[in-house]
Amino acid sequence: MDVEAAKILGKLIGAGLAMIGAIGAGAGIGIVASGAVQAMGRNPDATGTVQTNMILGIAFAEAVAIYCLVVALLILFVF
Amino acid sequence: MDKLGINGSFLLVQIVNLIIVYVVVSKWIVSPIMGMLEKRRQTIANGLEDARVAADARANAEKDAQKIIADAQAKASQVVRESTERAESAARDVKASMDAEALKAHEKAMAGIEEDRNRILGDLRGQVAALAISATQKLVGETLDEKRQRVLIDEFFSGVKSGKIVMLDEATLSGSSAQVTSALPLTEGEMKTIKSEVLAKSGAQAVDFHVDPSILGGLVIKVGDKVLDGSVSGKLEGLRSNLR
Amino acid sequence: MTETPKPKVWGRWVVLAAFVLGIALFTGLKINVAMPEVVLPPEALTTPIQTPLGPFFISGTLVALLFADIIIFLLAFGINSAIKKGNLILTGIVGAVEALLEMLHGMTEGTAGKWTKAIFPWFATITLLVMVANWTELIPGVETIGMIEEKAGSSYVVQMVGGIKSLAKVAEGAGNVTLIPYVRVVSTDLNFTVALALVAVFMVQVFGVRSQGRAYFTKFWNTGGVFSKPIFGVIDFGVGLLEIVSEFSKVLSFAFRLFGNIFAGSVLLFVIGSLVPVFAQSIFYLLEFFVGAIQAFVFGLLAMTFMAQATQGHGGEHHEEAHA
Repeated sequence: MDVEAAKILGKLIGAGLAMIGAIGAGAGIGIVASGAVQAMGRNPDATGTVQTNMILGIAFAEAVAIYCLVVALLILFVF
Repeated sequence: MDKLGINGSFLLVQIVNLIIVYVVVSKWIVSPIMGMLEKRRQTIANGLEDARVAADARANAEKDAQKIIADAQAKASQVVRESTERAESAARDVKASMDAEALKAHEKAMAGIEEDRNRILGDLRGQVAALAISATQKLVGETLDEKRQRVLIDEFFSGVKSGKIVMLDEATLSGSSAQVTSALPLTEGEMKTIKSEVLAKSGAQAVDFHVDPSILGGLVIKVGDKVLDGSVSGKLEGLRSNLR
Repeated sequence: MTETPKPKVWGRWVVLAAFVLGIALFTGLKINVAMPEVVLPPEALTTPIQTPLGPFFISGTLVALLFADIIIFLLAFGINSAIKKGNLILTGIVGAVEALLEMLHGMTEGTAGKWTKAIFPWFATITLLVMVANWTELIPGVETIGMIEEKAGSSYVVQMVGGIKSLAKVAEGAGNVTLIPYVRVVSTDLNFTVALALVAVFMVQVFGVRSQGRAYFTKFWNTGGVFSKPIFGVIDFGVGLLEIVSEFSKVLSFAFRLFGNIFAGSVLLFVIGSLVPVFAQSIFYLLEFFVGAIQAFVFGLLAMTFMAQATQGHGGEHHEEAHA
């Protein structure tokens, strides 16, 4: 195996590993959505507020996954 | 940065484009739509206001109508009540006057009957005395003069001896009205004597005189709830119970 | 009254015909479906011109941006003319846009209060532009029709399918051409998303300054308590420095959220297309439709919320401290 091939292999493995961080974001988004759905089920009148806050919470949880994505993209395309 | 494709000239183009789009959207999409929403809200509010005014007017009209109806009903019921009362009072007056008349007639009739009976009994008294005197003369001879005899008989019938009621000596009487019953009608003098005597003794205001031949002789005086029996029939009854 | 005609159900026959045609094409003609190359930067359709800021060229993403702009201008024109007619009830696409904006306006009113009038145009602009841009992904031919350019060491060669030049995949490094699409979704260009994020975060600061004046910057450079409250003052100062970092991370997360979602969506679409050439992609079109709308909405909503937060700021606390 030459150095170029090893570099490509390392990049692919690294990018894949970087995306492991998305697990946390996924779980977090699931928890946020489940809480929001329960809240909406118990108090349908508050649906609008709950939805807005749910989307905000999802966005913040998703930020972690986005950092993973950025790292993965940097590994794949920049280095 | 280059490898991610971020490039100053592109970035500038995008920012400029975004500002253009912002101007377009805020000027030709957002503000007309907001204006339209505002107009729509106002139209709806106006409609609601109109509806409210109409509803108010209708409610007022209904209230007026109800008031008129209530007034009319009150007036009608008042008229009915007044007429009913008038009719009732008229009927009551008629009935009362008729009752009073009937009572008066009845009383008159009763008084006439009483008077007649008393007159008849008064006439009888002389005859009874004469009969008694003649019977006594036959039995005892001519020992008593006629005048003395008549006084005795009068005393017998009236229970009044020499201006006094004999049986009242020991009795105590009190009450507001007195009733005196004799066997035969009393003479005016006797009545006066009895009246003064009874009134002095009992303090009663008025004295009624009744005639009841069944007591044979003497007087029965009733004052309040007390009865003094000075009648001959009473004495005979006492004698009979003593003899038994 | 005449009997209402039965609703036409020709749509499902079209679907069936397309289905059969697709299967016939891909089995009978033995077309080798190639997956397009995944490239991050926008590809040049013209020769680059050097500018002080960097090379400039017409790229597929700029063409898509032009499309999106044209659609928005048409919408603006339609809404304007419809409202000029005095209609209070809009119908059709214009009515849909109006309903969307009314919903967004309600949200803004609930969050921003008296700043609604200033903040709402940004919310509307970002949401509309990103939504239209995202949905250009769903037009057939976008990212698949383009120039075939020579490129040594690629993994594609040219093959002819019924008189149309198309690409076929070969071993890595054995090919000699590559495809440069005429139209590429603008949201897969980091320039677009970074520009949006920069403008949004910049406007957040602008709204902060407009509402609180110079006091807004104490959020970042909080030296007020360093000497009066020995420990917590220093902590507050550190928190202020962290706020600066968080503003930059806002730019990053704004830009990469949109870029990541849409880029991944378009990669997903052509991966699915190359694996199952017929029908399967349609389902993912539906998914991408929703992702595009939701990402646009989330981008706008987050920008609006940050702006509203900046207008509220720490004003209350400072007020209390001033009196204490």
